[in-house]
Amino acid sequence: MEKQPTDSEGEGEEGGQPQEANKEDHMTLLLRLRAQTKQQLLEYKSMVDANEEKTPEQIMQEEQIKAKIEGLENEVEEAKTAFEMKNLALDRMQLSAALKNNLEKIDTKTSLLMDDMKHVLELNKLIMTSQQESWDLEEKLLDIRKKRLPELKQASESKLLEIQTEKNKQKDDLDNMENSDKIKAIRQNLQREIQITTVIQNVFQNLLLGSKANWAENPALKKTVLQLEKNLTMI
Amino acid sequence: MSVLRPLDKLPKLNTATILLVSTEDALLQQLADSMLREDCASQLNVHLAKSLPLPSNVTRPRIDLIVFVVNLHSKYSLQNVEESLRHVDASFFLGKVCFLATGAGQESRCSIHHNTVVTLAHTYRSPLLFCDLKMEDFRVTMAQRLVRMLQICAGHTPGISALSLLSLLQSPESPSLEDL
Repeated sequence: MEKQPTDSEGEGEEGGQPQEANKEDHMTLLLRLRAQTKQQLLEYKSMVDANEEKTPEQIMQEEQIKAKIEGLENEVEEAKTAFEMKNLALDRMQLSAALKNNLEKIDTKTSLLMDDMKHVLELNKLIMTSQQESWDLEEKLLDIRKKRLPELKQASESKLLEIQTEKNKQKDDLDNMENSDKIKAIRQNLQREIQITTVIQNVFQNLLLGSKANWAENPALKKTVLQLEKNLTMI
Repeated sequence: MSVLRPLDKLPKLNTATILLVSTEDALLQQLADSMLREDCASQLNVHLAKSLPLPSNVTRPRIDLIVFVVNLHSKYSLQNVEESLRHVDASFFLGKVCFLATGAGQESRCSIHHNTVVTLAHTYRSPLLFCDLKMEDFRVTMAQRLVRMLQICAGHTPGISALSLLSLLQSPESPSLEDL
């Protein structure tokens, strides 16, 4: 990286003004300087403008950065959870190892842990036996139910049959009643009576009409006449 | 000041500063002398550097134009230029950087292929000039050219900005390079 910024000494020759500079020369120099300064000012202005504007690329970059940040945060979370899980697994392993070591060290017969374990085993056995019992009971219950099911079926079938026969019986009774001789006789009687009554009505009506009485004036008579109009077969 | 930025300082009145970067000290010195001998209305400052970044403890004027000189006979010079390019701000490449390849005349001694430099210059979207700096006439012409460019870059030519120098990229022989 060694470098020598050898500042050149060109000033004396190029940049330096000639000694015989008169007023006109000064004038041109000033004018040129003015133009130069203007041009430089323009350059700086355009630079500032360009820097102020946000190009779509930059906006895109910002969005990309945001998305990236989210992705990275997710990764961090995942790493954290993975670390926790591994930690837990490690804890378990350490615990089991410690337990193993401990068991090897301690006398098996007097150890409290063994007693606990034995107790646990007994309890487990108890649980198993009671579970077996409950299973047996359930099985018995099922058997009984199975047995009772066909019986129930038979009973319901017979009941249904009974109901059916009862219904049929009622129907038959009704039919029989309609077709019986008694009913027929009664009907014939009724028919004959109706006919007789009709005839009597007609006769009576004609009698009234023939007598040429003004039946409409007497309310009682009027009522009777109107009654005679009824058709008895429609009753 | 690890990264070189354009327009980060106020310009001095009527002064233009050029920075020549190369490992070829002798050639650079000759080129600088030729440039200073040029007839120019502005005051010229020529800075020479072997490589970038420039040390930060030195105060220097605003740098208007950087010329990276690559000697086609030495792979080290190209490598050095490539390293130095990393310390140049992107906005410098808006016309204020140019590459100068020397030594193309003696093709038998070239250790860098012509195309390598062309690709390098194209990658950085900067003009590439060829010149054999060992020849006095060529050097004077090149110095003249560089002085003109420097005046434009320093804003001493009203109406023309450094961006116009990007037109030097257009070469009639290889228009396809622009399309790349």
